[in-house]
Amino acid sequence: MNVFRTDNETMVRVMCRQALRLIAALAGITVSICLLLPGCGSRSESKSEAAGTVELTYWPAPNVQETEFADSVVAEWNALHPSIHVRMQPIPVSQSTEEVLLAAIAGKTTPDICSNIWPGALRDYTDAGGLVALDAFPDFDSVVTARTPRGLLDSFRSTDGHVYQLPWKTNPVMMYYNDDLLKAAGINRPPRTYGEYLADAARVTRDIDGDGTIDVWMGERDIRPIWWQRLFDFYPFLIAASDGGTLFKNGQIDFDTSAARAVFSFFQACYAGSYYPKTFFQGGDPFLLGKKATHFSGPWNVAAIAKFAPSMHYGVAPLPVPDGYSGPAYTYGDYKNIAIFSNSRHPREAWEFAKFLVTAEHDRMLLEIANQIPLRGDLLQNPGFAGYFAQNPVMVKFAEQAIRTRGMDPVPDLKEIFDTLSQVFERCCVYGKESPQAAVREASLRAQLIVDWNR
Amino acid sequence: MKRRRSDSGHSLRAPGIWLASPYLLFFAAFVAYPLVFSLVLVFHRWNIVTPMQWVGLKNFSRMVQDPLFHASLMNTLVFLVIHIPLQIVVALGFAILLNIPLRGRGFFRALYFLPVVVSGVAVTIVWQQLYSYDYGILNLVLRAVHVGPVPWLVDSGMAMPSIAIMATWKNVGIYIVLFLVGLQNIPRELYEAASIDGASPTHQFRFITLPLLNPTMIVIVVLSTIGGFSLFVEPYVLTGGGPMQSTLSGVLYIYNQAFYFGHMGYAAALGFVYAIVILLVVLLQRKVLGKEDTA
Repeated sequence: MNVFRTDNETMVRVMCRQALRLIAALAGITVSICLLLPGCGSRSESKSEAAGTVELTYWPAPNVQETEFADSVVAEWNALHPSIHVRMQPIPVSQSTEEVLLAAIAGKTTPDICSNIWPGALRDYTDAGGLVALDAFPDFDSVVTARTPRGLLDSFRSTDGHVYQLPWKTNPVMMYYNDDLLKAAGINRPPRTYGEYLADAARVTRDIDGDGTIDVWMGERDIRPIWWQRLFDFYPFLIAASDGGTLFKNGQIDFDTSAARAVFSFFQACYAGSYYPKTFFQGGDPFLLGKKATHFSGPWNVAAIAKFAPSMHYGVAPLPVPDGYSGPAYTYGDYKNIAIFSNSRHPREAWEFAKFLVTAEHDRMLLEIANQIPLRGDLLQNPGFAGYFAQNPVMVKFAEQAIRTRGMDPVPDLKEIFDTLSQVFERCCVYGKESPQAAVREASLRAQLIVDWNR
Repeated sequence: MKRRRSDSGHSLRAPGIWLASPYLLFFAAFVAYPLVFSLVLVFHRWNIVTPMQWVGLKNFSRMVQDPLFHASLMNTLVFLVIHIPLQIVVALGFAILLNIPLRGRGFFRALYFLPVVVSGVAVTIVWQQLYSYDYGILNLVLRAVHVGPVPWLVDSGMAMPSIAIMATWKNVGIYIVLFLVGLQNIPRELYEAASIDGASPTHQFRFITLPLLNPTMIVIVVLSTIGGFSLFVEPYVLTGGGPMQSTLSGVLYIYNQAFYFGHMGYAAALGFVYAIVILLVVLLQRKVLGKEDTA
């Protein structure tokens, strides 16, 4: 018995030693990986920094065109500035850039500079102390006002009076129309008002082959109640119908208005008349496939049409407005701006790089490579851009619209309020279960409740 | 050598602790710490990046007033009411068929288990194609026989049953296996004796198979209930919680609160309440089914 006991004890001790070695080895490997991985642990000085060169990390949007643009600009910068080396790394792919940036701020693993800042999420970043106030740089005013109209710049000012984002580009949401489908229905110009749109919709939407399935729709929206989908229907239409109004006025919720009710009524009519499908399209964009006549989107879609539907004849027009509306139509600008993170050890150098990104030369490069509109006041007057617009006449429409755009209100809770709007939009417009008056009232009350809850 | 002894007389030596340490570390890091941390969170407002703010019981008072929380709880219960009986009937039916000694039985067993191992998102996207109102294969078939179209996912009354059908198809393989094990554990002699006594196959099923499968049934009901309460991928991909919040499940709502809106404290409070609801429902089920078992 004692013999067995001794053997067992020896065996247990051996096993323990092996287990301890294994645990120590695993811990060692984990620590080594952590030390080797960029962004894990504290920021350490790189080899180039040790040699006296400043190293900056720059995150552009992860799409192909913007990555190509960033590659070109960074290569040019690095050639011109041997003492400030910029390392370009597209934003890690995730559900959204905002999630990645918030996680990076929380983990103190932000880059020095990022050019995909959505103003709607800015409050989250500034509340966390994650961004550098750019108006603290002495040349901020001269650099920015030379490029961006003062009124537009003020719309990017945070509630604390500082500016944390360098206005960079805008993607005005406009109405694309398939000229072939409109002409096939005997329509020679795109609709300008809700009345014209619905009248055209009755002619365009049809079952061509008589199999009981609609083959061409006037339009289509993702019917799922996903908050950001409202950035491409309700919100730009609200801005257009209210002469540039947004959801808030003087920091207070202000969308229980006739303009909001008109927008809800319009989309309700689109679904009630069966001009929009109550379905999900899979396997391709229905506009590119020639299954719908109108589509609300930004200038990035120009490249998609050129690539996937090169034979389509199409045009771009301002969003339809309520009947009897006068004046130019505004729209949602879908701005993306540049920000420098507080975690940066070289904010001054990052500011120099930010200024380099927004020179006229690089704004032209942004147009040529990414088909996106730089947020500058002289876009249609500056001869440096004339060649591009001569070659891309459809982009002139977006450039003209760019000066009549609005962004997001600088308030927190926006995603949650848009989520509520999505739910009410779905019930009222898609399923017709609520009147536009009641729906807008409910959305406004629920939005107020969200604001109250979150304070 | 000093030794400590437990009440049972077994020695608690240091080496034993070391051997258990990997699991203890894992448990501490991934179970105990998150649990305690989320308990702290329920009394705070926190969006990950800003410091936590004490809010007392505000997260719970919000829950009382929150119509979406009530809707998500009700939707989940509706899902369970459809899904559990459907799952049991379908799984038991197929298990009985697959228990019959036929050629190719192994192939069919593997076939019915296949959806279980396929990615949930991939399966859901395929079902989205099937369920599409205007272009879905199901409605194309129904139209061919002059029925429908059925608004599978675009009617608030139909969407949750449609998701329950899909979830049943996806998960039924596991329950078929459990029922097969249960069926194969029933002694053949019981059927032989019943047969000699003149019992019909229906009577044999009612008075032998079903009672002896009751322990398996309890396991399946409990597993289905817990699985049903964690309904997420299907509504997330298929409907986003619509139409009109009719498929907004509890977990989807918690996810939205935590990761879309950054309300970590409120999401943690919702999580705790859901855990209590699950516990109560499972206890209730065990009590009801356990009584039947002893009866």
